[in-house]
Amino acid sequence: MSATAQDPAPEQDEFPGVPQLRGEVAFRLLVDAVQDYAIFLLDPQGHVLTWNRGAERIKGYSADEIIGQHFSVFYVPEEREAGRPMRLLGLAAEHGRYEDEGWRVRRDGTRFWADVILTALRDDDGTPYAYAKITRDLTERRAAEEQQRALLIEQRARTAAEEALLARDRFLSIAAHELKTPVASLQLSAESLVRARDADRMDDERLSTGLQRMTKAAERLGDLVRELLDVSRLSAERAPLVLKPTDLAAVIRDVLARFEEQGEMHRIRFAGPVALWIPGDVARLDQVVTNLVDNAMKYSPDETPIEVELGTRDGTAVLEVRDRGIGLDEATVGRIFEPFGRAENAEHIQGMGLGLYISQQIVSRHGGTISADPRPDGAGAVFRVTLPGAEESAE
Amino acid sequence: MITDARVLVVEDDDTLRETLAEVLLDEGYDVRVAGHGREALGVLTTWVPEVIVLDLMMPEMDAFEFRRHQRDHELAPEARVMILSAARDLEGAAENIRADAWLAKPFNLTEMLDAVDRLVGDSAA
Repeated sequence: MSATAQDPAPEQDEFPGVPQLRGEVAFRLLVDAVQDYAIFLLDPQGHVLTWNRGAERIKGYSADEIIGQHFSVFYVPEEREAGRPMRLLGLAAEHGRYEDEGWRVRRDGTRFWADVILTALRDDDGTPYAYAKITRDLTERRAAEEQQRALLIEQRARTAAEEALLARDRFLSIAAHELKTPVASLQLSAESLVRARDADRMDDERLSTGLQRMTKAAERLGDLVRELLDVSRLSAERAPLVLKPTDLAAVIRDVLARFEEQGEMHRIRFAGPVALWIPGDVARLDQVVTNLVDNAMKYSPDETPIEVELGTRDGTAVLEVRDRGIGLDEATVGRIFEPFGRAENAEHIQGMGLGLYISQQIVSRHGGTISADPRPDGAGAVFRVTLPGAEESAE
Repeated sequence: MITDARVLVVEDDDTLRETLAEVLLDEGYDVRVAGHGREALGVLTTWVPEVIVLDLMMPEMDAFEFRRHQRDHELAPEARVMILSAARDLEGAAENIRADAWLAKPFNLTEMLDAVDRLVGDSAA
């Protein structure tokens, strides 16, 4: 049988001056000399017919040991048992050629990563009479690739960690800045009471005013710390959401009732259904509505109206809070939901600028969206929250 | 200490502003207050203090803008200025707005009174 798929080589000297390379001998020598590729033939049943130096080097078998053996010994046991070697021969017979990459086993049982090309050598009627198999050991290349991949992943992780660290530093620095003013108030008020007592200037009125100021500063500190904790818990996804059927209309009415107690209800107009059920976390949704209304109050002049509207669109609850305040420019719209991302024109409004960020975290963990836009007429802003799974009740 | 020296407190935090005013009054200073730079400029048109205690970041008009207007309109040009702030680079900010002293929030009462006392002394000198 011929070792090549081509016509037998002519007998005359093809390589003038090199008589050793006459006819097929040239190809046998060529194939045998190749060290970097295992090149050998299989019979139609998969038994090894020929063997070259490259095959010996890569697979560890000598020609004597392997010729006549079935080529499935090169495969890992799992693949051998699953019948993969013969399936590959079948594919090569069907397509003429089949390329495969995978683990192969050396004589000593060690594994290497191989690139294999199986070529069917066919009769005139198309029946394979042998297969040529060329195997390359890609273990080192694969290892290098994996190393590169690992390096890339490590690099990305490092960049992400560095960015997180920077964001944390920024967060801590702003948080510290915000906390210092109420701390200063608290300290100064307490010290002034001590000083007044020491100088015998203490009376009921002074004591009462001083204590009120201290309470106010302590409350402010408490609010700030709560906001900070909320942010850190929400961003670490440690705060579990309890999603239960929730009447969003009732949540909004509860929030507005609290604003009414503070005497601020006269500004707010609510329009919405009697009940609107969504899967939601009552406490967290309350926080979102409170933040949005509070935000509208803070950023619009007293006595201007704030409209709160609730409805449904294609099974989604849509909540809008519209104010007539200082409005939003384009730069702010993109940033307003970032931590401390409050508007440029709102730099000096009290608060940490975390309310909208917290709201966004809560809404997105409900599978919803939150957005802010200037009112079409430019006077004020529209905040829109959508929450999925809405069922309007007509009761 | 020179009694009856005039001190203007410019601070947007209500509690802090009221407390500062109260302790300065106790020490015998003549005190006026303002919640932001613009309000402070209004005070300066009719009343000239020896010392201005000035928060850096305030609504309406911050310390930087306030100082610019104050200089442009020559309002209380001789007044000594002390910055109160939680900002980081207070020394840089003080230099920037040509303040005579600065105090980082939070601060203690004695520190604050000593600083004001010193500035009043400077202004009398």
